[in-house]
Amino acid sequence: MSRTHAIPLSARSRAAILATSVVGLLAFVWPLLAPRGSEILAHASDAPLLFGLLVPLLLALTLSLVGEGAMGAKAIALLGVLAATSAALRALGAGIAGLEPIWIVIVLGAYALGAGFGFVLGPVCILASALLTGGVGPWLPFQMIAAAWVGLGAGLLAGRLPARVEIPLLAAYSTFAAVAYGWMLNLWFWPTATGLPEALSFVPGAGPLTNVSHWFVFNLTTSLGYDLPRAALTCVAILLVGRRVLAALRRASRIAAFDAAPVFVAAPASGTAAVLDAAPTLDTVPSLDAAPAVGSVPAVVAGLPPAATPLIDPEPSR
Amino acid sequence: MTSAVRFEDVSVTYDGADRPTLHRVTLDIPEGELVLVVGETGSGKSTLLRCLNGLVPHFTGGTLSGRVTVAGRDTRTHPPRELADIVGLVGQDPLAGFVAEIVEDELAYGMECLGIAPDTMRRRVEETLDLLGLADLRNRPLTALSGGQRQRVAIGAALTSHPRILVLDEPTSALDPGAAEEVLAALQRLVHDLGITVVMAEHRLERVVQYADQVLVVSGGQVTTGTPAAMMAGAPVAPPVVELGRLAGWDPLPLSVRDARRAAGPLRAQLRALPPPADPTPAAVEPRTTEDPESGRIRVRRLRAGYRSVPVLREVDLEVERGEVLALMGRNGAGKSTLLSVMAGMRPADAGTVRMGGADPVTLKGHALLSTVGLVPQEPADLLYATTVGRECGDADASARAAVGTTAGILSALAPGIDASRHPRDLSEGQRLALALAVVLAASPTILLLDEPTRGLDYGAKRRLIAFLRTVRRAGHTVVLATHDVELVAEVASRVAVIADGEIVADGATGTVVRSSPLFAPQVAKILTPGPWLTVGEVADALQESG
Repeated sequence: MSRTHAIPLSARSRAAILATSVVGLLAFVWPLLAPRGSEILAHASDAPLLFGLLVPLLLALTLSLVGEGAMGAKAIALLGVLAATSAALRALGAGIAGLEPIWIVIVLGAYALGAGFGFVLGPVCILASALLTGGVGPWLPFQMIAAAWVGLGAGLLAGRLPARVEIPLLAAYSTFAAVAYGWMLNLWFWPTATGLPEALSFVPGAGPLTNVSHWFVFNLTTSLGYDLPRAALTCVAILLVGRRVLAALRRASRIAAFDAAPVFVAAPASGTAAVLDAAPTLDTVPSLDAAPAVGSVPAVVAGLPPAATPLIDPEPSR
Repeated sequence: MTSAVRFEDVSVTYDGADRPTLHRVTLDIPEGELVLVVGETGSGKSTLLRCLNGLVPHFTGGTLSGRVTVAGRDTRTHPPRELADIVGLVGQDPLAGFVAEIVEDELAYGMECLGIAPDTMRRRVEETLDLLGLADLRNRPLTALSGGQRQRVAIGAALTSHPRILVLDEPTSALDPGAAEEVLAALQRLVHDLGITVVMAEHRLERVVQYADQVLVVSGGQVTTGTPAAMMAGAPVAPPVVELGRLAGWDPLPLSVRDARRAAGPLRAQLRALPPPADPTPAAVEPRTTEDPESGRIRVRRLRAGYRSVPVLREVDLEVERGEVLALMGRNGAGKSTLLSVMAGMRPADAGTVRMGGADPVTLKGHALLSTVGLVPQEPADLLYATTVGRECGDADASARAAVGTTAGILSALAPGIDASRHPRDLSEGQRLALALAVVLAASPTILLLDEPTRGLDYGAKRRLIAFLRTVRRAGHTVVLATHDVELVAEVASRVAVIADGEIVADGATGTVVRSSPLFAPQVAKILTPGPWLTVGEVADALQESG
């Protein structure tokens, strides 16, 4: 299966994605990396707010860069349809016990339409569904950047999986992504969370090793109840409907012809007179006499007259 | 005279296509003309139209060689957004193109996109409402409009940005004759009162050819242009009035019923001496003695059906014998589709009885239903839900308990050469209809119901449908078709029933019913009345027999 790029990535937008991802990653993991006794740890309570403002700004900048000149009307239309679908699905799932069908849309959409599209699709889906279900809060920027990574990852897989086993492999990726997403999301509030037992809590200045192991335990003991159902739902759903949804998305992408760039060339050098000669004149247009007259069509199914030109529409619904 | 549109040696090749869709097209459309684009499905008509506002190749991709100039702007350097103020495009299905919910908002939407000042928008919306006779509908939801009203709103929405060129893709194909008249009258007014250039593709030539100043015939990607009379003289597709003119050798070739009628005096006199055409009702349906005598018969008595507050059918009595082809006619909303769905067992009757081949269709299940009555709905895609044509055929074989390959066989007889791996929704209208027909016919139902079968079909597909329906009738199937297409009725129907306001107001042999109606009479009947002739084929046969 050849790779589709609904949103082609230029060198500049690749750099922007990379920069945003680095800042986004820092926004999640900075407490773990802070060296022992660092001044910076005094900001543990207001840092999420700072990043909460910084990340959406960067994300907006990146999305506009990615979209610049490359995101055509067709990609926007498809983005809108998928975002609306995921928002409607979120209303269905309502996030109970982590059952969020939105990930099916993001993973399959990104896989069918490419990495650039996936990086945009993730945050837009999250934003649309958050607006619909009232899920707007300081966590939203973190959810958006993490969803962008899930989409980017699925998009990068496109064209690299053997077609025979792509659905199971995608299901495996989505299982991993669903758990990783949950664990990353824990990080944005975990350092400031209070009232946790010591073995689960963030210890300012205790060094990366201790904190990473505490975070690990925290994930296993608290959020796994959300992460596992989310992973299971996404995995099972992709196994069940993945092939059909992918076929529909690929058909949409084939009809949209994302990779077909408009090309203009000069007309061949011959004169206009030659062109008029080449066009069929009235004499050469098949007249009705050549075709069977309307009233006398042989009325045997097998003997139906073939049309003068085949009915097949070589480029339907252009 | 200035050109509105110039094509200079234009070829278009889509990505992955091995030959150009348009090949070396050179043409010139002067300002203020009404230009008709004619050609079979897949001939390159839509590509030609979409070159006019730059959608080809800016949106679709592909290679364009040569130059397209629209009102002096070259489409190489002007993408669609920079042509939006001079070209308005109206698609085939207006509902698919609507953005807003109500009429006024839809009219203003295009102007909002172009950043036009609010007071100008307000004025232009008012002007457009008056121009197209939409003032009474201004606050109506778009979904509550009739087909003709929707098409006029779509034209209005394109007009509010004051384009110099209006491009329409099959604006009347899906409309009943009255609604088509509405739309064509509005277009006439735009051309004559405002000097707008109109470029229109249309299969229903009999409706539009007399209004055209220039005709472009697109065939296999090549384009020939000329005056309507010159192009019709040699065109592969022509409306009945032109075919009759060609048969009788009239010169100049008439394009309207009025012109033809004035030229037809001698032909009428000649035909008066000839015997009338044979009654098309087949006497030769061989009685199958082994079968139930009720097989293939329709009995509808005192039928009431519809919605709780709005009865659609009030009191319908209808009897159809085996082997008849009954055409149901009447304006949109008269109850034709409701009657068909009751007959197909999809909707229960509120009162009265319905017997299809002796059984109540609502009580029939599974294979018993499929082999008794089959309905091809107005939108054939409603029957199709598999992802490929091949799978669709396989499913149909299985549910019809027919031998593997039955459906595919019927399909290839109806529309040869469809790739089995294609998606049913990617097919052309004619191919989709053929597939839906094949799916229904796999179970060999004794009664076949068709709802608007010629919507969106080109002449070639329609000719094959007509031949096919004759075969079906000869094989002893009963056919009921709901249609606006008077020419189709003249060709295949043995009987016509006219429904109005939920009741059958006329029922009789095709000739008797349609000849007397100004709306339902085919063109040949209008020209040759009071003679009994309905189709060019009948006239040709009669002339041939007399030598």
